[in-house]
Amino acid sequence: MSEEPRERREPESGTRNAPQLSLLGPRIFAAAILAFGLFVLYGTTRISGASGYSPDGPTFFPLIVAVGLLVFGALFLLSTTLRRDRYLGEKAAAEEASTYWPTTGMVVAILVVYAFLLNPLGYAVATALFFPAVAYVLGSRGRRKVLRNLAIGVALGVLVFFAFTELLGVRLPDGILDPLL
Amino acid sequence: MEVLGDLAGGFATALRPEYLLLAAIGVTLGTLVGVLPGIGPALTVALLLPLTYDFDPTGALVMFAGIYYGGMYGGSTASILLNTPGESASVASTLDGFPMARSGRGGAALATAAIGSFVAGTISTVAITFLAPLIAQLALLFQPADYFALMVLAFISVTALVGRSLVRGMVSLFLGLFMGLVGIDVLSGQARFTLGVPQLLNGLDVVVVAVGLFAVGEALYIASRARHDTEEVVPVRDRVGMNREEWRRSWKPWLRGTAIGFPFGTLPSGGAEIPTFLSYNVEKQLSSHKDEFGRGAIEGVAGPEAANNAAFSGVLIPLLTLGIPTSATAAILLAAFQIFNLQPGPLLFENSPDLVWALIASLYIGNVMLLILNLPLIRIWVKLLEIPKPLLYSGILVFATLGVYSLSNSAIDLLVMYAIGILGFFMRRYDFPVGPVILGVILGPLMEAQFRRALSISQGDLSVFVTRPLSLTILLIALVALLLPYLPALISRLRGERPQSGRTVFGEGEED
Repeated sequence: MSEEPRERREPESGTRNAPQLSLLGPRIFAAAILAFGLFVLYGTTRISGASGYSPDGPTFFPLIVAVGLLVFGALFLLSTTLRRDRYLGEKAAAEEASTYWPTTGMVVAILVVYAFLLNPLGYAVATALFFPAVAYVLGSRGRRKVLRNLAIGVALGVLVFFAFTELLGVRLPDGILDPLL
Repeated sequence: MEVLGDLAGGFATALRPEYLLLAAIGVTLGTLVGVLPGIGPALTVALLLPLTYDFDPTGALVMFAGIYYGGMYGGSTASILLNTPGESASVASTLDGFPMARSGRGGAALATAAIGSFVAGTISTVAITFLAPLIAQLALLFQPADYFALMVLAFISVTALVGRSLVRGMVSLFLGLFMGLVGIDVLSGQARFTLGVPQLLNGLDVVVVAVGLFAVGEALYIASRARHDTEEVVPVRDRVGMNREEWRRSWKPWLRGTAIGFPFGTLPSGGAEIPTFLSYNVEKQLSSHKDEFGRGAIEGVAGPEAANNAAFSGVLIPLLTLGIPTSATAAILLAAFQIFNLQPGPLLFENSPDLVWALIASLYIGNVMLLILNLPLIRIWVKLLEIPKPLLYSGILVFATLGVYSLSNSAIDLLVMYAIGILGFFMRRYDFPVGPVILGVILGPLMEAQFRRALSISQGDLSVFVTRPLSLTILLIALVALLLPYLPALISRLRGERPQSGRTVFGEGEED
């Protein structure tokens, strides 16, 4: 995926001016992986009809996956604490410096709302609102741009709706436009 | 020559007007989506998968082959003009492609990329035509234990050979394997990890996982740094084409790139990343213009682009003959087959020869179409690069949601996809490769099935995997692949030198 080359090179150049390391984020992520491994282990014991853990039964692979997550999660935690991975620390520091969390949070929130509104509002209407909303959060602002984005959203919603339902035979919800269609 | 007769039959099908139209739509859409910055071929095929639901299997796969190749052609445009490789296999092309564009030779760079891709794609398709039936015959001898070993090899090589950290690659792989476990276990009928949600009984669709990781993850990543990034599209000032000198410097790199890329594609070696960098380094070594490399040497674009395309074609061999995808993009192609209840593998050539040969014929046709589409029309695609980022990513999210929602009109699917997107966002932040996740989702269940099938044949005897010569050999190769990155450091330590780093990294950048 996209990444500027200067960012890729920078963390490699070793000891110059003792670059900032930031390992708190990776540590939290490592803890999350370990917790998830435990969850998988717990879930494995809950698979019913478990005939022991015989290799040809339905619980053997889940067990391996749980152990794999725990082992490699632990090794990853190690690389953020005792055996610090410089490259990772520097990359995480660079990421942290350029991250603006509210935008990310807003996009996630709008996505979840979109998922719940698709059915009641219908595909065309929900999309017509979703597109300009995300574009606004991502920085396409100002009266003219907002109006333009709204127009694009309406066009996109209507076009996709008709192309998919009429031409491709894929069902999409009509929603509040149902009486009109 | 039986093969030529089969191929002629395939052309007879693929040249029917309706299939030609589908192929044209496929390559156009593939290029259109692939050219958008930050969208690699894997995401292109995942996003466009729903479009094919309504067609007959042959039509859908013909269109899909077009999308696959189109996504790849489109990707090189973004790498050259914007310096944003859509996936790691395009990184090598940016090293000289972007400097060429900056110094006003963007047209020549795009031309050598397009013609090189055409040459490599066509030669590779010829190779597929003759090799695939042979390998399919050979694959009939494979037993479940051998399939299991092959999948272990595919996993190991994708996580160990590609990417900066083995540990992070393994975490990605096991996350993917977990996602593959969700749903009803086919062999015993037990529900696993469904949390009582009925929609999860059918398992996580690979499209949900791929679109979540690639599209939503990428959009969230861009959102998190929306205030920092500004990118300029380099305009194409010169004619899109090459002069005599550029032709002379391009044709050998094309052929060498093809020769490097195709074998790597057919092996389970993690797709096109390694061969593109290998090709770049070979061209640099052989060139009489070494000083130009990094500042706009045309060989540095011609070689890797050909290698990329050849490797992408080579990937189709294990996919069609063994049913084993060796890259994230191939994993999604396998999902496309499964939608139509087709299981790629040795029997595909026996059971649905018409379909296979129409597909192979459409690869030839698609390559010609793409050449036509990319040389004269390239300026239209370049316009797409100028879409402002907020609109681009809003649009990507609209289509990501559409792609997943059209699977089963389920809000649960969407929430799962967004959750996977958040996971993808953090994976991208902390340098976890995404490719192993996709491979784990699609290969995990197949691997488990082969493992248990092998055990039921051997009546529970685990030694079946090491007593069969074939599976033992494959497992040993997997072990070598696992240890290979540590070899240079080990050798220099044995010589009494201090190793520069513990583990050699093949290729830079991230996985696709």
